[in-house]
Amino acid sequence: MHRKFFSFFYFAITVVILIAVLKILNWLPMAIQKDAIRRYSSVEEVRLRLNIKNIYVPSYFPQNFTWPPSEILAQNKPFTAVVMEFKHRERGDIALIISQVAAGANFVPDKKIKILQVKEKVTYPLKGRNAVLEVGLCKNDEPCSRISWDEGKYRVTVVMKSPPFDLIKVADSMLR
Amino acid sequence: MSISNFFNSYIGMYIAQSICHALIAAIIVDRSIQAWKINNPLIKQRFRYIVIISPILSFPVYQTINSGRGSVYFRLEALFDINRWLSLELWGKFPLSLLFIIILFITTLISFLQEIIPILRHTIESKESTSEGETPDDNSIVSKALESLPVEKPDIFIIDDNDFILFSTTGKNTAIFLSTGLVKMLNIEQIQAALAHEIAHITRSRQPLILMLFLLRISMFFNPIVLVEFRKIVQEDEQICDNIAVTLTGKPYALIETLKKLYYTHEDIAPVQITKPSKIGAALEEYSHNMLIKNRIMQLEQGLAHEKDGGWFKFIVTFIVITIINYFIV
Repeated sequence: MHRKFFSFFYFAITVVILIAVLKILNWLPMAIQKDAIRRYSSVEEVRLRLNIKNIYVPSYFPQNFTWPPSEILAQNKPFTAVVMEFKHRERGDIALIISQVAAGANFVPDKKIKILQVKEKVTYPLKGRNAVLEVGLCKNDEPCSRISWDEGKYRVTVVMKSPPFDLIKVADSMLR
Repeated sequence: MSISNFFNSYIGMYIAQSICHALIAAIIVDRSIQAWKINNPLIKQRFRYIVIISPILSFPVYQTINSGRGSVYFRLEALFDINRWLSLELWGKFPLSLLFIIILFITTLISFLQEIIPILRHTIESKESTSEGETPDDNSIVSKALESLPVEKPDIFIIDDNDFILFSTTGKNTAIFLSTGLVKMLNIEQIQAALAHEIAHITRSRQPLILMLFLLRISMFFNPIVLVEFRKIVQEDEQICDNIAVTLTGKPYALIETLKKLYYTHEDIAPVQITKPSKIGAALEEYSHNMLIKNRIMQLEQGLAHEKDGGWFKFIVTFIVITIINYFIV
């Protein structure tokens, strides 16, 4: 009985050590490479730390969303990407995501707002850019819309849990 | 497609994660075998199957359970994210992902040259084998040795050669080949032990699980951890066949003597003692070969290991721990 307990204890200790080593190995590249993906507290901090000059932030912001972003993720290596999430003021869920990712990069910002059924997909002229506008339904048949376009060296995507009217206003206000 | 983009694609994530998952499984399985002092090679092999099979299925199964597992947010909270290392650049120029791809390439090359092609060639040759050598006559020492073995008798062929040759062919035309040099060297009990060991190989090769395991191993041709683990399984297979041979003959010391005579003839020189670089490779190979034979002899001297419970509870605990940890490794 004593031997059995010792064997289990030894195995458990080994697993704990392995988990600790994995945690350290996971932290190490973040410490070495400062511009790897991580959370930031503000857009200004992203600008300062990663030296990204153009971060596309809307000047129009619907009242039912909270400002500042509830979450900001950014990286410069292996390619530049900035993702901002905004919560719905009343419901508290993520209702708007703005991402700008280096063109051609295979990067999925997140599936927190996933359009399950696309009802309409059209090309929309957005201040001289050819944007793609998609309108459809998210989970629980909630109306959702997404617009994306190429802006310099980035691909900008705005996805929102709402019909396209507010979405277009937000996207439009990001450009001069 | 750039290298970093490749490792963000489904196939790239599959390759990278299957290697990480195999590594974690290999570490936990090794610790588990040590913690519970598992000596029976058959049970050890069962544990090692986890290292071969789990990385093939883990990624698609985890992705089915949680499709957001590949997302940025999951990766940030993960126990270990391989992409963090793969996106590192040495001296700001040389991406680690390139080194990773080189490792994959070398492993693939080794898998094909040392395992897949030789085994395919062996299978083809076994099918086409025209019985090279002569069948022993009824009064010969080989026939007498085979006679008392309580199993279905395979075809035996004697090759006229003074070197020590002993091998068996599997597949449809199973046969055991011995050289005249070997027959002269061994006594009747030792020949019987050698034949029993080869018969064990033939019997095990007929098991569908072994064939399926080999096919699964081939599907992980790029995975260096699976490559190493499969070799451990092959070594343990030798021990399993030794055990079967002892069960058939009831004479472990006859097999020990056979092993010593056939394979363990050289002095035990550690490779570090050799100064010429050209000889180090050969010495290393001989040294590791001697170590393996030493282990087999040691195991035979200790006697057959009988685990009371078959180790199923320990196996399930190990499997669950591996499955949970690997879920958080992306």
